[in-house]
Formats: sequence, C-alpha cells, structure tokens
Amino acid sequence: MTSTVTPYRSRVDGARAGFARLARAEWTKFVTVPRWMITVGAAVLLSVLVSGLVSTGMGENTSDDGGGGPPPVSADPLEPFQDRGHFVGLPRSGDVDLIARVDSQTGGGDWAKAGLMIRGATEPGSLYAAIAVTPGNGVVLRSGTDVDIAGSGAGAPTWLRLTRSGDKITALESADGVSWTGVGTVELDGLGDDVLAGLFVAAPDEVVVTRQFGTESISGNTAYTTAAFDDVTVSGTGTSDWIEREHPSGPAAQDDTTGYTVSGGVYTVTGSGDLGPDMFSPDSTRMVLNTTLIGLCAMIALAVLFITAEYRRGMIRTTFMVSPSRTRVLLAKTAVIGTVGFATGLVSALGSFLAAKAGTDGLALPDLFAWPVVRAIVGSGVLLAAAAILALALGSLIRRSAIAIAVALLALLVPQMVASGLPLAAANWLERLSPAAGFAIQQTVPRYDTAIGPEAGIAVLCAYAAVATGFALWSLKRRDA
Amino acid sequence: MEATIEVRGLRKRFGATVAVDGLSFTVEPGQVTGFVGPNGAGKSTTMRMILGLDRPEHGTALIAGRRYRDLRSPLREIGAMLDASAIHPGRRARNHLLWMAHANGLPASRVDEVIDQVGLASAARRPAGGYSLGMCQRLGIAAALLGDPPVLMLDEPVNGLDPEGIRWIRGLLRSLAAEGRAVLISSHLMSELEGSADHLLVIGRGRLVADTAVRDLLAAASGDRVEVRTDQRREAMEVLTGAGAVVAVTEADALVVSGLPAATIVEVLTGKGVAFRGIAEHRATLEEAYMDLTRDAVEFRALAEETS
Repeated sequence: MTSTVTPYRSRVDGARAGFARLARAEWTKFVTVPRWMITVGAAVLLSVLVSGLVSTGMGENTSDDGGGGPPPVSADPLEPFQDRGHFVGLPRSGDVDLIARVDSQTGGGDWAKAGLMIRGATEPGSLYAAIAVTPGNGVVLRSGTDVDIAGSGAGAPTWLRLTRSGDKITALESADGVSWTGVGTVELDGLGDDVLAGLFVAAPDEVVVTRQFGTESISGNTAYTTAAFDDVTVSGTGTSDWIEREHPSGPAAQDDTTGYTVSGGVYTVTGSGDLGPDMFSPDSTRMVLNTTLIGLCAMIALAVLFITAEYRRGMIRTTFMVSPSRTRVLLAKTAVIGTVGFATGLVSALGSFLAAKAGTDGLALPDLFAWPVVRAIVGSGVLLAAAAILALALGSLIRRSAIAIAVALLALLVPQMVASGLPLAAANWLERLSPAAGFAIQQTVPRYDTAIGPEAGIAVLCAYAAVATGFALWSLKRRDA
Repeated sequence: MEATIEVRGLRKRFGATVAVDGLSFTVEPGQVTGFVGPNGAGKSTTMRMILGLDRPEHGTALIAGRRYRDLRSPLREIGAMLDASAIHPGRRARNHLLWMAHANGLPASRVDEVIDQVGLASAARRPAGGYSLGMCQRLGIAAALLGDPPVLMLDEPVNGLDPEGIRWIRGLLRSLAAEGRAVLISSHLMSELEGSADHLLVIGRGRLVADTAVRDLLAAASGDRVEVRTDQRREAMEVLTGAGAVVAVTEADALVVSGLPAATIVEVLTGKGVAFRGIAEHRATLEEAYMDLTRDAVEFRALAEETS
C-alpha cells in the first residue's frame, strides 16, 4: 500500500524556530491578551496618579521635618547638607590669615568640631572652608558638600590656621604654633572680596530612631560642644565687630546653653548642630518612586501568568511543539517579559517623578537630569525587569499561578516590610541579601539607614533573577511538559 | 524519508503505573490510522512522547526518521492537536495561530488560509474563551494544518463535534491522507473511526493489541457469513440447515447464514422454491470487530497470566 503513495511535502515556507522568531512569537502572545495589556497600562497610570496626589501631602509633612528649626541647608536635595553650628567671626576684605589655638573641647561626641572657618556670608549654604579638630577623628578640613580632607590625628589642644589668597583657602595645623603642616587647599569659586573669618563649633545630633512596621520616627537629641580658643588672630582688612551666627539644630536646642564669652583673650564658644552631610534628610525622589510598587506587583503577576497560564491550560505543550528547544522558549519569554517590565518601570517612574514635580509645592525634588535621578528612574525599569524575570522563573519552576505569585511577592516585599520592624543592623543585612536589595536603585541620597549602594543592590536582585532562571532552565529540560 | 511516525519499544511509567509498555508501530503515509483504546490505555502519553513532550523511559519515536527535538521547523513536519481547549481564553483565535506561525517563520497569510479551511473565518477575531468545544476542535485542527505538514496527529478530533462536524472532519482526514500524508487519529470509541480509518492500532493498558488494516479486521469479524432476507423464514431455515449451513435468526425476516458461500445459498433456495427478497454478505460493524478483538485480547492476557 505504501509503495503506491507519493510522499507529501509541505508547500509552506518556514524557517528554524530560532531565538528571534521565538521572541517575536512570545511578544505576540503577550500583546494579544487584552487583559494583560490593560493591566500594564492601568498600573502605569495608577502609579503616576498616586504619585501626583501623594507628593502634595508629602510636601506638607516634610516641610515640618526637623521641627521648628531651619530647613536643611543645602538647596540640592541630592546632597543634603547641614551648615549649622555656632559661628563667630569678623568681617574681612581681601586676603586673610586666621590663626587660633583650640585649647580645650568638651562634649558633643567623637564628631564634635571646634575650629576655624572662612565663609562668604552668614546664610546657611554660603561658600565656606573650615578646619576643625574633633575629639575622636583628628583634624578635618571641610568645604562645600563634598570636600572632606583628614589631617593629623591630633586632638585639642592644637593650633589651626586658615589663609585666604584670592579664591584659594589653605588649611594648616600645628602642634606648637611655629611649624605648620598643610592639611589641604580648597578653591571657592565666586567667593567675593568680603568674607567672614572666625571661630566655630559644631556637634551632630544624637539621633534616636524609632522604627515600627512601615513607619519610622527620628528624634534628635541636641548635643552640645564647648571649645575654648586662645591666641586668636584675624589679620586682614576689616572691623573688629564680631558677627555671631547661631544655628541650633532642633526644637530641643536651648538658647541658654549656647553662646560665646570672651575673657582675657580666651574665646569660649558653645554650640550645637553639625557641619556635614545630613544623613537624615528625606530621599524625596525615592519617596515619589515608591509608587512603582504598583507596577512591580502587576509585573510579578503578569510574569508568572505568562508561563503558568500555559501550564494551566496545557498550552505549554503547543509552545514546546512549536519549538522543541525549551531553553530557547524560556529565554525568549525572559526577553519579552524583561522588556515589558523595563518599559513599565521606566514609564511609571518617569511619569511619577514628573507628576510629583508638577503637583507639589512643599516637596523639594531634584533636577530630572541629575545622575542619581536618571539612575533611579532608569533603574526602576531594571528593577521591574529583574523582578519580572525572577517571577517568570519562579512560575516556570512552580507551575502554579497562585503559589508562584505569592512566592515572588513575598521574596520582594516582605524583606522591606519586616526590615522596618527590625533593629537597624539586622534590617540592613536583610536588605542587602534578599531580592529586595534591588529597591536600593531608587535611592538618590545616602542616608543613615542605607543598607546597600544602588548599583550593588540592583546587582543582588539581578543575581537572584539569573540564578532562578538557571534553575528554571535546568528543571524545564528534565521534567515532562 | 517518507512521512511516517515510527515508534519502537516505547515505555513510560508514572510513579508505579506503567502507562506505555513496550509499544512499537509505524504510521504509514497515504492512509488514516486510528489509534484506539479505552481511556487510560496510554494513547495520549504515546502522542506526547512522539512530540518530545514527555521523556520516554525507554524506546524511540521518530517522525520522518528524526527525533522531534531535531526538527528544524516542526510545524512543517508534523501537525498535532493534543487538547483542543489548550488555548488562552483571552486571546483571539487568529492571534493564537499567528504566534505559532511567527515561531516557525510561516507566512501570516497561512493563518488566514487554515482559518478558511476549517470554517472559522467568521469567528477568528473573537476571543477563544467564547468558543464551543466544536469550534475549539476546528481551531486545534487549523493549528495542526498551519505548517502544511506531511504528518498529522490528532488526539480525539471527533470529540465534541456535531454530526455535520463529524462528516466534515471525516472528509478532511480522508482528503489529507489521499494527498499522501500520514494521519494518526486517536479515539476511545471505535464507532467514531467508522468510515474514516483505513488502519487500526488497538492499544490496551499500554500495550499494542492489534495492528491491522480495517478491511482485514472487518473481513475476519464478518467471517463468511451471508445475510438472507425472506418472508418464508421457517422454510428457508429448514432448506439451508439441510444443506449443511448454520443459520441464525437476526430479525423477523432476516437470517444470517454461515458455512455456505452466497452462490450455493442462492442455488439451494431457488432449487427448493423458497422465495427471498435479498441476499448479501454480512458486514460486521467496526464496533463488533473491536469487541471480538478486545475479548480475545482479554482472554489472551488471562491465559498468559495463568500459565506464567
């Protein structure tokens, strides 16, 4: 019977089920389920809307942050900086040579500062250079928000010196007031002819952080430091009317414990508030980008369903019939869900940021094109892509929608929730080692509770996604479809 | 290489249950082969192993001489329908076929061709979730035909079709086989294969019970029996028994005669002046043949178990 039959050959053109074709097939699968597309669109829209609404409320709250005291000093929300402390100085025009001996220093902790400062004006945030001695960290030279140069390990008593020549300010220290050692030179572009040169003390607040699930309250106990200066010489052109700038740091600061006295050439200055990075300022960008969680949850569900829906109905068999290489199928799915996740994260983060920026009065948001903001917004895309890929791999391993979605959500969200109820050290380790480390990419400001850097954090999540995908590939080849 | 499915020594176990036990057969091109057995006999498992979906514990399954996983563009080599309802309910039927076409580099125009071929043109842009079972079957068959493959393998394709649909699919399968394709269809009901299958693979408890042409099977089951229609039943019975035949009454005016060829029966009846209205070779139904076959198989198995 067979001998009489002419073998049939397909008359349709076809090609190998390669990766690009499978990626196109998987893309077609994703975009042709209307409810999936609606979910993506709704998630993006919702995160933008919520962000626009919530940011207004956040602005009202954060304007109160730090109690009745002055707001954080730095105008740039990406480099929160406090320019506080107690300063007494003389107005000087042109070049200055400022010398004093810090005779003693008490109180305020290891980072209490007592030293000399040349600044453009009394206003917080004006140009300055300062050299100070600390009880625990030796001599430091600070300027702007980024210059932080360590000198010797000496403590009080020690001699300090600042000399101004044009825009250049050189800091020196000495044990005896005779032989001077340079600590560093800083250039203050745009420093006018008129400056203030004098003495300052500063002490960081003793911060008590109370963390409860989902909320944290930071209360600052103002710390005071008192330093005695002698042999104070402020050479240069100017009057001898001392100008004082007191800057108590918070509601607890009491005026009667600050101040300065002069007695027999000894200047005693007491003060509170710090000069240096503000580790407690809110990360406004990150708060705004919190709404990408909506997109994240949606993407996790979609990524899981992208494969478990096929298992549930047996369609996975059609998929593997069309492409016998299961590795290629899962990689194509990974590419598609990663792309959708990236786009969802990017668009919702960008939209949320712009909506918050447009809709808020009180909340200070940085420039869109500042690198930490770009990193946070593009990183939100990577965050959602990696989370989706992780969820897809879990879906492939577990094959059951509900369980896989639950596992993926737990892995990403529980560490964050639990962390806010844990002691800081434990919380930090949880946020470093769990997939939730990926959220670090949305940080734009280093904070006291920063567990892991943005790039390292997202790398941790990507590693989880890669390992899970590896397991999924391994298991996919061995199990029956 | 000819368009065939070749299965050699296939064995598959799920836990303690042996689903397929040393199965070997060849599906030849140019005919419709029926794959019959009760539910749970191992038909679907065998089909999944042929498609590389389940990993056999032992044995091989080849399509046109190659393992499934070595097929470059599988839809052009073999079209299969395992479960017609295995489609996402939110996706339109046309898009379901479109992603399949994309994966194997088939032209999108082919999607519309097969939609027309199975008569789904008016419903192709509706979500598959609203499809009846019969429409799902048609969509599944469209998917199997997408790559115009020389080998077709359909699991229970008749299931859920209305009589008009059954007639349609029988015609379709026959014409596909007539073009030189190998067509394998499974069913748990022998009657569904009546009029469509040329060849039968009968499977029971994972083992091959019969591998036979439908014609031979029916001839064997029919034996040399002849059906006689007459109003003079009593006279006819006397005359024929006298001539050495074995006669059985099947209806008030019908007898089934065995032991005499038809020509002799005519001769005897006319010689004795017994009137008859019709005489024909008795044709067993496929169902009868199947019952004979499986009865034998069960007896054989019982015997084998006793002696072993």
